[in-house]
Amino acid sequence: MRKFPILFLLYVSLFTANISCNHYSHMKKTKGDVSCAVKFKPDFRLAEYKISVDVIGKHISGLLLIKYMTDSSTRIVFTNEMGLGFFDFGFSGDTGFTVYHIVPQMNKAALIKTLRKDFELILFKNMDESKSYSLIDSDTIYHAYPQTKGVNYYVTDDQCNRLVKMQRSSKKKPVMEAFFYDYLTGQSPDSIFIHHLNFNFSISLKKITPLASQ
Amino acid sequence: MIKMIVLIGFFLNSFCIEAQYSGYTLSNHPEAFRKSFADAAAATESIQSGFSQEKTLTMLSEKMISTGKFWYRKKDKLRMEYLQPYPYLMILNNGKIFVKDGQKENKFSANSNRVFQQVNRILIDCVSGNMLNNTDFQARIFESDRSFLVEFQPLAKNLRELYKNINIVIDKKEYTATSVEMFEVSGDKTVIRFQNKELNAQIPDSVFVIR
Repeated sequence: MRKFPILFLLYVSLFTANISCNHYSHMKKTKGDVSCAVKFKPDFRLAEYKISVDVIGKHISGLLLIKYMTDSSTRIVFTNEMGLGFFDFGFSGDTGFTVYHIVPQMNKAALIKTLRKDFELILFKNMDESKSYSLIDSDTIYHAYPQTKGVNYYVTDDQCNRLVKMQRSSKKKPVMEAFFYDYLTGQSPDSIFIHHLNFNFSISLKKITPLASQ
Repeated sequence: MIKMIVLIGFFLNSFCIEAQYSGYTLSNHPEAFRKSFADAAAATESIQSGFSQEKTLTMLSEKMISTGKFWYRKKDKLRMEYLQPYPYLMILNNGKIFVKDGQKENKFSANSNRVFQQVNRILIDCVSGNMLNNTDFQARIFESDRSFLVEFQPLAKNLRELYKNINIVIDKKEYTATSVEMFEVSGDKTVIRFQNKELNAQIPDSVFVIR
């Protein structure tokens, strides 16, 4: 009998924890305007950013170039300040991905997979409207695009006039968030911030002067 | 017949070497160059200059351009201060590396980051004239009317994974580096050109201080 209050509290707390574990459960699911989020897709025709990466206490920096290629693929190249190329990734179609170059120190499957997913989110890749749905959370709408694993969310205001943030999530909770700052829809954002919620990993991008074409 | 094929192969190979760097031919007097270069390096206590850096992304047909200031003092003190496209500072002093990226400051031992250490060592060795003694590389010496071009091919595995070769262009008058060209395995290249070089100027310790 004495144990009852303790067990009761334990059950209640487990039940509450289970509910609170699902970050999206309180939101109302609707079909919504599935094409609305696509209009926020930035134009990275040719953009050069200063990049700062902080990962588990380590800091690396350099230049990140994003370029749309004539074959309609997108290339993302990261070099350090002294010109040494860290990686060169290619994104084609919705899910195509090629590692053109990566230094041995970064050539780790888990890191490449994480970077790929992060960049796919900000490039607005794999947005299959037939699978998409919306979740309404008070004054914001989570435009959901299910991926092979997890869901990509593009969060807008309730009128879908402003992109608030982007989110990658597991089944129940967000694992990464990305933000565009000083962003005029249809152009390339002035700044981009990506941060992971389940481990200490963030990427900051700040646009710099135009490049000299060859 | 076999002799003829070997002979043709030899001539073709020679032609390829000669044609590899426009305006340059393989030096007939590499030892004389080595001696003059070593003498000039021994007499150089410090170098300060401006620099421009041009990274060519071959596949993307783009160039990324940076500029800044450069200070070197014997034996292993180096300061590279990038001013464009954004401020970035790197100081190497006595085996320690200091990096300032915006508001972020980082200090670490050169030994803790082998690649960083090797890449910076290359730069110091290039400007100090010590590169010919760097056993991580095999050198070939080419020359034109006005300059030498020393091609360094990496021997160490971890450097071979990064660079195809690194070339230093050395002017015949002062025997100092006018540019360093780094050819990456990816096909991209970075060229650092030194401008307004001043040799043996008094450079205060404060330039290389790591706080």
